[in-house]
Amino acid sequence: MNAPTIAELLANPIVQQALEQAWVDSLPQDVAGRHEEGGLVYVDTTTGVISIQRAPVAGRAVFDVSAPPIVAGSVVVATFHTHPNPIAEGWEPGPSTSDTLSADLLGVPCLIRAEDGIHTTGPDLRRGGLTGNPGFPA
Amino acid sequence: MSASSNPSTLEQSAIDGARALAVAQADALKAYRDLSSYRVQIVQEDDGWHVDYELKDARLKGGGPHYVIDAMTSAILSKRYEQ
Repeated sequence: MNAPTIAELLANPIVQQALEQAWVDSLPQDVAGRHEEGGLVYVDTTTGVISIQRAPVAGRAVFDVSAPPIVAGSVVVATFHTHPNPIAEGWEPGPSTSDTLSADLLGVPCLIRAEDGIHTTGPDLRRGGLTGNPGFPA
Repeated sequence: MSASSNPSTLEQSAIDGARALAVAQADALKAYRDLSSYRVQIVQEDDGWHVDYELKDARLKGGGPHYVIDAMTSAILSKRYEQ
């Protein structure tokens, strides 16, 4: 079994639902309360079933998924988060330099929900496939 | 010999990096509220002071503000908010 690619992840209804729920939870219409939300996408290495773990609430423009919870029999295959700050106020909706660097460092794709849709960065699939550490690949 | 009183002939002082940082930080705090996750790099280039906020922890997702500050007037010439 191979690790899912970005295209396969974005076509998965569980991932789609997670991205949309994170977007709603990030309160993009609330000037004072908007903040980044997101989490981790796991794949069960035996069944191939995808599951989601949300990460703690984050800051306005910073999000931490660097210490993923261990899910028995599963490995992390992607991270996801929102960019809720509006283009109209000068914010860039796409991946930041740090989004790309961290995705390359952690070894899994980074999925981003912003006001203009979905953006992605980092590797196309988990580095090294479904083997290795249960969290991020080594 | 007396000094000229014509304002157009007076030399304008260039701002230093601390002043450029203060201008950038005032704007950044309004947009980001909390800058504790960032380290700041200030470099003077031909087009002004470049003030760049980058995340301290390379494993974090997110982004910081990036400015070019006029080295003569301290005006913000350009800014970019990463998230």
